[in-house]
Amino acid sequence: SGYGTSVGKISKMAAFCVRCVGNSKLSNYMQLKRVRIIHTEVLAQNPTALSPLYPPIVPSLTARSKAAKQRRRDEYYKKVYAAPSVQEKLRLLTCLQRLKYVVNTQTSAINADRWYQHFTKTAYLSGLPEHFTNSGMDQVAETGDIVTSKALSDPDFEELKSLFCTALLQENFYMRKRTPFLYRTIEHYFSPFLNNAVSALTTLLAAQNPLLKESSLDFKPQVNFYWMRGERVVPRGHRKGSVDPIRFQIDDHPHSQIRVPKQLPEFVPLDYKVPAEVPVIKLEPDRLPLFKRQYDNHIFIGTKVTDPCVYGHTQFHLISDRMHRGRLTKANLEDQIEVRLRANAISSLFAWTGAQAMYQGFWSHEDVTRPFVSQCVITDGKYYSFFCYQLNTLALCVETDCNNPRKNICWGTESMQLYDTVEENDVKGFNDDTLKLLVQFLLYRPKAL
Amino acid sequence: MATKVLYPLYQRGNPQLRIFRTNFFLTLVRPGKEQPPDTVQFRIPMEMSKFDVKNYLGSIYNVQVADVRTRIQYGTNRKRNHLNQKVKTPDYKVAYVQLSKGQTFEFPDLFPQKDHTPKPDSMEDIQRKFMEDEQQRQKVDPRRGGVTDWFGL
Repeated sequence: SGYGTSVGKISKMAAFCVRCVGNSKLSNYMQLKRVRIIHTEVLAQNPTALSPLYPPIVPSLTARSKAAKQRRRDEYYKKVYAAPSVQEKLRLLTCLQRLKYVVNTQTSAINADRWYQHFTKTAYLSGLPEHFTNSGMDQVAETGDIVTSKALSDPDFEELKSLFCTALLQENFYMRKRTPFLYRTIEHYFSPFLNNAVSALTTLLAAQNPLLKESSLDFKPQVNFYWMRGERVVPRGHRKGSVDPIRFQIDDHPHSQIRVPKQLPEFVPLDYKVPAEVPVIKLEPDRLPLFKRQYDNHIFIGTKVTDPCVYGHTQFHLISDRMHRGRLTKANLEDQIEVRLRANAISSLFAWTGAQAMYQGFWSHEDVTRPFVSQCVITDGKYYSFFCYQLNTLALCVETDCNNPRKNICWGTESMQLYDTVEENDVKGFNDDTLKLLVQFLLYRPKAL
Repeated sequence: MATKVLYPLYQRGNPQLRIFRTNFFLTLVRPGKEQPPDTVQFRIPMEMSKFDVKNYLGSIYNVQVADVRTRIQYGTNRKRNHLNQKVKTPDYKVAYVQLSKGQTFEFPDLFPQKDHTPKPDSMEDIQRKFMEDEQQRQKVDPRRGGVTDWFGL
């Protein structure tokens, strides 16, 4: 090329000058006169004609060096960024199987909620967000993008209450049932009750909340999420000394869930300064105890990516008999009752909102641009706990987390009773506040509707 | 409830078996891998179960236990003695006990570093100073650079 030859000429001239300069009296003269290399005409005319003579110097792809490893990782990330569809992106992120910690949503581990908060970078705030505490059932207010419910009229509320009582009595009194199998009492008596209750709620409240008309109610859905958080040094084996990310998988089976086609509005802005801290635990997850397995990495919200209802609204969880409060009280573990409910809520909702975000194409290196919000109700038939979750960040792996000020937020209540006892043909001590809060939960929708 | 005993057979209606002086002895050990602050590590007899550990600590030491996890550590059979016979190191059971109600436990430092500096003006101090002076006197002139005494004029 023109530039090449002129550079060649210049370099030859420069070499000649240097040789001259080094050896003779001419050199002193040239040094004094400060002889410069001539600027070529080609360069003067079009400076943009500078094309690099050699290809860029990049680290090898196959060498056993840190630079090569980084280059391989970068090539992989480029492939993920350039994926044509969400399904392809998810496939690229989950195709490689490695040993990962399986996070159970219903654990018997002590103080699991602090560990789960660390794994998911969640700050826990007790009490519900302002939307639920400010607006009572009897107020009509418009706060930004959220429209609070108009009062559910008394006849409607009474109808809902009677439906609930009928469903309870049906399972506990009217229907003749065998004695339940060991550790299946709650599932035996309250799973069908919750089925009927949730169906009744969605159908009755669809009049007030048009989002529920387009919603999809799933029973016993599957929710899975796979993510990486933190790093560890491999202690032994042929890979000893190498640094590996720590992988987690949640496989959740809620009792039922409501999925909607439009996203729920955020509770707080994306850059809100959360008053609570995310607990940091320096020990490895094995101490929880948490165990590793290797199998398919799943990311699933309950349906596939092409479904119209890809955003989550509310999940209903029925706790297992091993977490029943009677058992825990007998084993002298009363403080663990709330801990287990919180751990269940944090893990289930993180998995659901995370999967929803990944269905929209966000992943740990492409962080969410808008918060993803979901709610859940955890119950054993009599006691209800309400939780709200806002996913502000998916960037949990070490590379992306070092400068990430965002945290995910979980709000939650203590358990509230729905009724006192079921005596023959009668539900005693029905608590209206719990039902009102349930109704508020289901009436949450964006302003546009 | 005890090692090397034959437990009487239980049939429904029998009174509950009670052991008043158990044969079990637990050993509190320092954990090899770092454990959470509420976890205490014990070496327990192989015949003990998780419920035994919980009852033992609860009734004898009044310790409120939230959870017990156990594992059996296999002792190697690879070592050989001077007669090339295999020597087995014994197996043992390890229990990880999690304390309830937010209690924590830190394994104490059993061999703290003692400060061996003697008290000023005591016998040991005077003796030490005297010995130091003697050693200083015995040393050769450092300006000779390590060359011995008998070498030279």
